[in-house]
Order: sequence, then C-alpha cells, then structure tokens
Amino acid sequence: MSLLSMRNITKSFGGLHANKDVNLTVKKGEIHALLGENGAGKTTLMNILYGIYQADSGRIDINGNAVRIRSPKEAITLKIGMVHQHFMLVPTLTVSQNITLGLKEKGYPFTDRKLVDRKIAALSDEYGLKVRPADVIADISVGARQRVEIVKLLYHAAALLILDEPTAVLTPHETQNLFNVLRRLKKNGHSVIIITHRIAEVMSIADRVTVLRDGENVASLDIAETGSSHLSELMIGRRLETPTRPTTGNEATSEAPLRLSAKGISLQGESKKILDNISLDIRCGEILGLAGVDGNGQKELAEVLVGIRKSDEGQIVLDGQDISRLGVKKRKGFGIAYIPDDRQHDGLILDMDVVANLMLSTYDGTPFSCKNLLKTSVCREHAAKKTRQYQVKTSSVKAPVRYLSGGNQQKLILARELQGHPKLIVACQPTRGLDIGAEEFVHKILRRQKDKGVGILLISVDLEQIMTLCDRIAVIFEGRITGILKNSGKLDFSQIGLKMAGLTGAAA
Amino acid sequence: MESEFLATATALLAASIRMSTPLTLAGIGETYSEKSGILNIGLEGIMLSGAFFSFITAHYTQSLLLGVAGGCLGGIFIAMIHGYLSIRMGIDQTISGLALNFLSLGLTSFFFLMAFGKTTELPECPVVAPLPIPFLKDIPVIGPALFSQDLFVYGMLIVVIVSYVVLHKMEWGVNILAIGEHPKAAAAAGIDVPKTRYFAALLNGLCGGLAGSYLPLALLGFFMENVTSGKGYIALVVVILGRRHPVGVFLAAILVGAAEALQFRLQTMGTGIPSQVFNMFPYVITVLVLFVSIGKNRTPAALGEPYHQE
Amino acid sequence: MRLLREFGSFAVVLAATCLVATVLVIAVGSDITRAFNSFFGGIFGSFYSITEVLVRATPLILAGLGVAVAFQARFFNIGAEGQLYMGAVAATWIGLYLPPLPIALHLALGLVCGFLLGGLWALIPGFLKGQFQIPEVINTIMFNYIAINLVGILVRTVMSNPESPLPMSARLPDNLHLPLLADPTRLHGGLVIALGCAVLVYFFLYKTTWGFELRAVGVNPRACTCAGISVKKNIVVSSLVSGGLAGLAGSSEILGIHQRLMEGISPDFGYVAIIVALLGKNHPLGVVAAALGIAALQMGANTMQRRAGVPASISLIIMGLLVVLILGRRYFINPTPGEAA
Repeated sequence: MSLLSMRNITKSFGGLHANKDVNLTVKKGEIHALLGENGAGKTTLMNILYGIYQADSGRIDINGNAVRIRSPKEAITLKIGMVHQHFMLVPTLTVSQNITLGLKEKGYPFTDRKLVDRKIAALSDEYGLKVRPADVIADISVGARQRVEIVKLLYHAAALLILDEPTAVLTPHETQNLFNVLRRLKKNGHSVIIITHRIAEVMSIADRVTVLRDGENVASLDIAETGSSHLSELMIGRRLETPTRPTTGNEATSEAPLRLSAKGISLQGESKKILDNISLDIRCGEILGLAGVDGNGQKELAEVLVGIRKSDEGQIVLDGQDISRLGVKKRKGFGIAYIPDDRQHDGLILDMDVVANLMLSTYDGTPFSCKNLLKTSVCREHAAKKTRQYQVKTSSVKAPVRYLSGGNQQKLILARELQGHPKLIVACQPTRGLDIGAEEFVHKILRRQKDKGVGILLISVDLEQIMTLCDRIAVIFEGRITGILKNSGKLDFSQIGLKMAGLTGAAA
Repeated sequence: MESEFLATATALLAASIRMSTPLTLAGIGETYSEKSGILNIGLEGIMLSGAFFSFITAHYTQSLLLGVAGGCLGGIFIAMIHGYLSIRMGIDQTISGLALNFLSLGLTSFFFLMAFGKTTELPECPVVAPLPIPFLKDIPVIGPALFSQDLFVYGMLIVVIVSYVVLHKMEWGVNILAIGEHPKAAAAAGIDVPKTRYFAALLNGLCGGLAGSYLPLALLGFFMENVTSGKGYIALVVVILGRRHPVGVFLAAILVGAAEALQFRLQTMGTGIPSQVFNMFPYVITVLVLFVSIGKNRTPAALGEPYHQE
Repeated sequence: MRLLREFGSFAVVLAATCLVATVLVIAVGSDITRAFNSFFGGIFGSFYSITEVLVRATPLILAGLGVAVAFQARFFNIGAEGQLYMGAVAATWIGLYLPPLPIALHLALGLVCGFLLGGLWALIPGFLKGQFQIPEVINTIMFNYIAINLVGILVRTVMSNPESPLPMSARLPDNLHLPLLADPTRLHGGLVIALGCAVLVYFFLYKTTWGFELRAVGVNPRACTCAGISVKKNIVVSSLVSGGLAGLAGSSEILGIHQRLMEGISPDFGYVAIIVALLGKNHPLGVVAAALGIAALQMGANTMQRRAGVPASISLIIMGLLVVLILGRRYFINPTPGEAA
C-alpha cells in the first residue's frame, strides 16, 4: 500500500489549468522526483498536498485513507512537511524558536527550551544536519537555513517530506551533502518528494520520477526504466536541439576593441564579501555569459555595473572612460542598458501605463520634453511606434502595464532599454518565466545587438542558454570569478559545474 | 535639606507614575498590535472611546467596576473596527487609524451632547480612591511612589509585568513576533495569522480602553468633548521611545509623566516659563530618538503591511 | 460591467452615509425636515453662507493640495497642521516686524515666507525619510505638536501683544489684508490663490518632468532607482512643496481672516486636509471638489446644531465614515486584495 496517492487532481487559476487530472503515487521509503519545466504545475500540486490550496476536484489518500487537507496545519498533522523555495523562517528568531514555531511543546506556554534543544541536537546528529539551536536565522548562511528547514520537518515527525527546488541555492558540493541526508532519511523509512527541473539530479538521487508538462502528468516511471534524454524529451515535449552556435565566430570578437573593462570590483556585505576582486572584460560585439548558482553575487555585480550600487573598490571603464563614480542616469547616458531579473519590481512600474514606462529613462530629454515640460503627444506617438516595432500586445498605450503578459512586459523593457542605441547591455535572466516563443524573440534581439557591435553581459542560471548565445563564459562563485572559458562548443556542463562550486578541476 | 530633596523627588516620582498610567496602558496595548504587524494611529480614538463609555457606564450605574468594563468594551469596539479594516480588507493602516480618530471623536461628542445637552455643570461619575498597600507603602521613595496609588496604577503595573512575560517568555509572544516579522512563515507553521492579529487588536482595545477609563474614573471625575486631547499620540511616542518592550514603554511613559509633573510644579512655583516648553518635551525627544536610531531598525518587518492569504 | 460596479458602489457609499446621518438625527430626537432644512440652509441659505463655505474651503484646498502632492510621492505627510501653523507664524512675523512696504509686495512676501517656512517644517521629516529612511508618519505628527507648542510659546513671549495679557500677537496693520472679494462678507483673496495653486499643482504633477518623477517614485521607488530617478530627491521635493502649500494655508488665514497670531486658528485643518486629499484621490481637481464638499458639510452641520439641535460633531462622524466606506469600497469591488501575481 502506498503512503501517498493523489488521483485526478485538477486546479485552475482564473481559467488557466495549473493541474489537469494529475495522478501521483509515492511509497514508503521512496525518493520521488517531480520533474517539469517552470510553470508545469509541480509547485501547485505540492501546495495542494500541503494544504495551501484546495484542488477543484480529485482525491488524496494517505495510507489508504481518503483525506481533506485544508491547511498546512492539517498537513502537518498528517505528517507531511514542506520546505519551500523561499524559506519560511522568521529572521529575528532563533533556530530553536523557528523549529518549534506553532507547536505546543512541553511546558507550553513556557516552552522548555533546553529539552527542545536536546531533541534538535539528536536529530541533527542522526541525519547529519549541522545546526546550532541558539543561532539567529538572520546570521546564518543559506545552506544552514535549508538544514534548519529540514530539521524542522523532522522535528514535526514528518513521514513525507516535500522539497521544492532544494538545490537551486546549493553548490554541487552542498547538493551532495543534501543527497546523503536524503538517503539517510530513506533508510529510516521517510519518503521524500523532490520538486526539480534538473534531470541530472533526478537520475542521481530518485527512485521514481513523475514528469509534469503543461499541468498534466505525462509519465510516472522507475528510474531504472529511463534515462536523461528520455526524461528531457518527456519534460520538454520535443527533442532537445543541439544548441546553435553564435553566428559570428569567436575569432572576430577577440580582436574587437574593448567596450567594458571592470577591474578589482569588491563589495562588502554584512558578514562577508558579496563581490571579491572581480575583473571582467567585454569586447564590442561580444556576448559574455556569467554562469553561476543564483545568489552568488550576480545581481549585485549587475547593479554595480549599472550604477545602482557603488562598489567599495574597483574601477569600471567604458570605451576608455572611467565611469566608476557616475550614477545610473549618467551611465545610461553613456550607453549602458539594463534588463533587470525582477521585471515587475525593478524594471517596470506596473500601475503606470505603457507610455510612462517607456519614458522612464528618457523623459527628461528631447524630444520627450522641453525644459522640464512634458510633450505628452510626442511621448504617446513614440510609445505607439515602439509597441508595434517590438510586437508588444496591449489593448492601448494608456493601459497599465500590470495587465500585460510576462513576455510582453519583457519586450517592453527591451524596447525601452534599446531605444537609445546602447553600447553595453547588462541582461539578467532575460527570459525567466517566458514561453518558448518569447524566449526566442529575446535571443533574436540580443543576437542582432551583438551584430551591431554592442557588448552584452548575459547573466543566467540557464546553462543551455549561456552555451547557445555566448562567446565566452565567466563563472561566478561566492562573489569571485572562478574561471573564464572560451565557448568552443565542446564544453560540457561538468567543467562549468566545478567552477560554479569554486572547485578547480581539470583545466578546460 | 537632604530630606526635603528626597521628599520632593518622591512626590515627583509618585506624580509621574500617576501621570504615566494611561500612557503605559495605551502604549502596551499598541505594543501588542505593532509587534503583530498592525500599526494603529487610531489609539487616540480608542482611548477616547474608552473614556466616554467608562464615564457613561459609571455615571448611570454608579459602579466603578462596571465603568471600567464599559471603558474596556468601548476601546475594543474601535480597535476591532481598525482590525477588520486592516486585516480583512487590507486598508492602509495609517488612513484607517486617522479616520477612526475622527469617527471616535465625532461619536463620543455626539452621544455626550445627546445624553446631557449643553450644560455648564459637567455631569460627574464616581472616582477611584487611593489604596495604599500596608507595609509596602512605608518603603522610602518607592513606597509612596508605587504602593500608595490607586487600583488603576496597580493594574498598570500588573499589565506591565504580565505583558513582559507574555511577549518575552511565552510561546504566545513568539507567535506574535513571528506574524509581525514574517507572516507567511508563521502561516506555514500553522499559526492562524488573521486570528492572532485580531487577538492583538483586542488587547490593543482592552488596554487602550482601560487607559481611556483612567481619565474620568481616576483623574477627573467627569467627561468632556475630546478629553484625551492628544494623549493617544503621546502613547505612540512612548511605544517608540520604549522600543516596543513593555518595561521600556513603562519607563518611557514615566519620563513623559515626569515632564508633565515637573511642568505642573514649576507652574505653581510661578516661573515665567510657558507650559508649552514642557509639553514639547516628549515630541522633541521622540524626533531625536528616531534620528538616533538611524540604521538600527528594530521595527517589525511586516508592520503596516496587509497580509494576504493565498 | 466594471463601470457599473464603480458607480453602483459610489451610490451605495452615499446612500449608507445619508442613512447613518438620518439615523443619528432621529436618535437625537430632532425633526428630520427641520434638520435637513437647516443643514442645506446653512450652506445655500444666503449669499453670506455661501461665502462662508468658500472661506472655510480656502485653507482646506491649500492644505489638501499639499497633502495630495505628498501622498502622490507616497510621503505620508500627516504634519500639514504644524506646517500650517508655521506658515501663520511666518506671515505674522513679516506683517509685524518688517518696515512698511507697498501693500501688494508686503502681502506677497508674507505668503511666500509662509510657503517657505511651512516647506522647511516639512523638509526636516522629508529629509530624514529620503536620506535615512526614517518613517515619516510619526515624525510629522511630532512636528505638529512641536509647532503648536512653539506658537504657544511665541504668543506668550517673543511675539506677545504688549497691550494685552491674552496669549496672542499684536494685530497686523489694517491695510495689510488680503483683498476682500465680496465686501461685507469675509471672502478674501486667499480663495483665488488657492484655486490658482490647484491649477499650478495640476500642471506640475501631470505636465512637467518633475511631477512625472514624483509620481513614479510614489508608485514604485525601486524601479525608479534602477532607471536612474533619484528617490531621495523626489521625496525631499515632495515634502517641500507639500509643506509649502500647507504653510500657504496658514499665511492665508492670517492675512485674510485673523490678522494676528494666536492659538487655535486651525480647527484641525491639517488633519481634515488629509481626508480632503483622500476623497479627492490626490488629484488637484478632486481636492478642490472635496474641500468644497467638506467645508459645506461642516457649515451645514454647525447650522443644524444651532437651529435643529443636532450636535455638530455629526460632521466628524460623516467624514470618518466616508473615508472608511470609500476605502472599503475598493475592497468590495475587488475582493482579492493585493497585487496580481
């Protein structure tokens, strides 16, 4: 008899099917991978299991008994635990307080902290999860916080643990540690559902895998019955094409003049350096990729280059001119364009209309204004022209940008940033959350800019995207550049993976 | 010479503690609310409502106990409206608080006028008498200051101690802190965020109503339009000065109360210093404290942010 | 469908408010027809009453514009009351202590200095927010009380009237008075200034680059930082303009009505201005309409108290209720609060 059985689960949000008739079965002592691309419905399904959402239809059985899970509290009672992508830890409380949050421990309401801490230490030893009960969450590392989250589940006597993209914030080395912990859990009879889009990890740790695509279950298999390419076909729904190489060869760009030169960039964080002596060169017409696990300083580096943050040390030179002390506006004036990774908060003002968003960096120059007086008709015509040019689908240029789809919002940002004929583009995760069509549109635009001689820094966690578009690939780990490789088309991911972990393996 | 100084200091301390009582009570109520993430500028309205309902109840029943109960209910009434607007409807808390101040002032003035008409003689209510505690009252300095007071003051001291224990030694306090810092994490842990916030709003109203009751039932013996005249805002000040810690709030309120007591004394001594100089004191101090706390932000992270359940 | 819900809910709000007002009138035991007759009579009953409404609306328009500008930049200026008093202080000082100047110049100077001092008073919390992210709500409330007490000190010491023991300043020279628009009523040039400011504020907010920046910062400061718009600068500018307009309200009251500085020249104008700005949706035209409406409400309520025995505090109840209902209306139109995912 299986531990968990989810049958015919269907859930829609506003007319869109997030899950359509999905089945999932997990046995006791099994590590089950839930595989799919972004937006395939994995997190929704698990949120239903954890009681955050209620399914529109379908049934859930635990140990053969039908259950209704109406809230996380009920899920916890059923011995289900979940570690979310964004940790559910209160930063100002200690590890120990977070672990017992919401529980009525011995001595309630005067919790016996000493007893709790002993229990935590026991769990910590048994599963190899190093945590210190008295630490305040705000002071510990991301990897440590994840360990706290897992200890929390075990403290709640979870029999079924759900981990949502757990390796997104870990280096390959930390991922191996996590997998060792999972194996121990399995040995002790716990079941684990691991939500992921990384096939290599599925092959490495899972016993069974369920693949979701567009909200539907396309396969549930034993790992022994399948392989990487089979899984990727199932996941994407088509064969993965061999990445197309950049149209202009590497050779041409290595002789081109230097567009951007960043030397010795350092930025001190609260407890350690966020950026540590970073030096990069980008030539005209070159796309330099910056690969690395999310959270290793990419966003901060982008913000330093664009001028949103000032580095503590270092120099930035654009076309021979030192721009290190200049602000965002002046750098934009010198031709730096910025595509931020968080388009809804950093890139657009959602509650203002298309016209306003397109003017965001150019409103105070001709022809949009004259001596501080806005020329509203000029702005409006310009907006109409740009939305046509970039195929931005919107009911009107006066509609708030909030109602545009993700892809159209991204196109709007591109339209704005590229209107001044930039010299350098800093693009952070430019295709995050976009469908295939929009993604190809963005790639096309970046390639066209490259052909015009624009230097591009492409920051992405998607290694395939980097391999497809970039001439050279830099790898960042904990604020340091651990390697810069020429993209000869023969690189394999493991070389880059080692550098992403800060480990120096065999040279490229 | 020395004993005269001691006598003056003791009298001043006793007066300060008396003056600080409504501020401490209201401040502690607000502390519960802010720690849970709800900012309540409408504290003035809560106190005024408490003052009015305590007066009306005491006047018609001639019972102090019922009067206090009425005051608490009056405070809870306004606090729960604010709670509903902030928690269920996600309305901006500053605006909601201001609107409730207007509403409370309007309602209390309206019903007071309706009940008593425009009289020159203010209707009265019973007043609580001082209740010195035997033995303890004879301790030098602290005795008269802390133990020769009335029941309200004793109640206030109890509230301070209980609140300290609840917020800093009990799991309930951890829960309140959690929902004020990271409501999503608290919800994921199974804590009912809206319910806990409503509970904090209830405490806010209870303490605020109690604070308001102090004015007619202990200090004045009567009620008039806008009797609180800004004490609610000073209570907000006290919360900040006291770093949202019950004992801190208590001490900050005594500081403010001391300024008030000092001002009275100096006025009776006939110095030419306008009372406004002392009235300004708590506000100037608050600005300075806010200025000094640059960079050391200890505000609950979710303060003022409406919480939306998935 | 959406339009229908908008208007429908507005109608509900108005209906609910009228219902509550009626209930209160009945509760007091007053005759309904008499109450409503006196209410509307108090507003429209005579030429004098209409001008009184306008006189009352003048500082509300100015302070309301100030609050609206600040709110558009998401600078929650609760300090309009204190800024108004500082404007009054400036105008009185200019009126009493400068050597005689041509009247128009003297008046203009008084108004300008009122703007400047009010602006300066708001600038302190504005700068503290822009530079140090110190929250402005409590700060501006503090400055209200500091200002009010400062006035109390001034009228008892430095600026006190040597000829009278009462706490107030000497009287400004008779001719130093904003021109009367409809002698013998109290209607004065301040109204023209207020309406002129409404036009200027509209122009500023929607037709200039400064206004564009300010509004953008109010909606999404983070995106502005990433686009190169200085959030700090715009918060400071908004506080300056906001306080200046509120200060102008104070000067206008001194130079147009009171002719001397004393305590209590503002019956909570600064706080009512916040309600005016909210009801006017922070738009200059809305502010003018709301200010006129609130002024009329207060006038009518006063008359209703005199002639029908309904306590004037009913206007406070209605104001508070209106704000709560209008804010709640947004919730009922869109019951899922929060941003779209």
